Amino acid sequence: MIKTKIWVIVISLILTVSAALSVIIFTLPKKNVVAIYSDGELLREIDLSEVAEPYTFKVEHGDGFNEILVERGRIRVSFADCPDRCCVNYGWYYGGASPVVCIPHKLVIKAVNSQKDDFDVVTG
Amino acid sequence: MKTKRIALDAVLTALALSVFIIEQQIPLPIPVPGVKLGLSNVVTLFALFAVSPLDALLILSLRIGIGNVFAGSVTGLIFSAAGGLLCYVTELILYKFLTDRQIWVCGVFGAIAHGVGQIFAAVGVSATAEIFIYLPVLILCGIVTGALTGSLAQVSVIKLKKVFPFLPFRRKKEEKQN
Repeated sequence: MIKTKIWVIVISLILTVSAALSVIIFTLPKKNVVAIYSDGELLREIDLSEVAEPYTFKVEHGDGFNEILVERGRIRVSFADCPDRCCVNYGWYYGGASPVVCIPHKLVIKAVNSQKDDFDVVTG
Repeated sequence: MKTKRIALDAVLTALALSVFIIEQQIPLPIPVPGVKLGLSNVVTLFALFAVSPLDALLILSLRIGIGNVFAGSVTGLIFSAAGGLLCYVTELILYKFLTDRQIWVCGVFGAIAHGVGQIFAAVGVSATAEIFIYLPVLILCGIVTGALTGSLAQVSVIKLKKVFPFLPFRRKKEEKQN
């Protein structure tokens, strides 16, 4: 039998590493351009820095749908009829490393690289 | 003895199903796909340590199958199955190395394995490799929830073996220790 003390040390190590990685992931630099995928297909790309007026659009998947709200600098799933509502609970997405995912409707909103991004870095 | 075992398995399956369905009604404010308390794992752990690995597998598969047919979806079934089976295999391996007073360790690693299994299923289903970025968060949540559910299972195993000595609980490990 392995002593409880050793288990505590092993678990604490995993805990520390995963906590550190989580913090790093959520503080990674943000990108301006986000892409919306449904079922693995690219639906549209939006440059969040160029959104003038807030607008919404619907993404249908089978019988269900996700309603997406776009504002300047941020995007979110404002309504969905999926079972877990994980995508709605995510709240606003600002282009970070952790994508918005709606697993039941196979919807993904994630930041993507664009040539415009490099241009912004040079001028800005 | 055999009838008692069937009855015990049936009761545990019913318990796991009820917990599984009630748990789905509890919303967690964590915006990461796949994070949940994993309360029904208490029943699996209990069956593993107090009855037998085979009974635990039976209860787990019945819970995943029936639970997702009545209160889930096809995607839910895929995630439950991927997470649940990886969780079971991990717990089965650890079971050989743990005493009844270390069941919480089994809960922790089981929850981590469940998260890993779910992430792989999610990446497979949605073909989005970016979901892997949630792995550290899922492991972190798994350690916390796993320690909680594991401790719950540990208390249940130790207490129930004393309260219901007539049930077909296995007491091999305790005898070894004494």
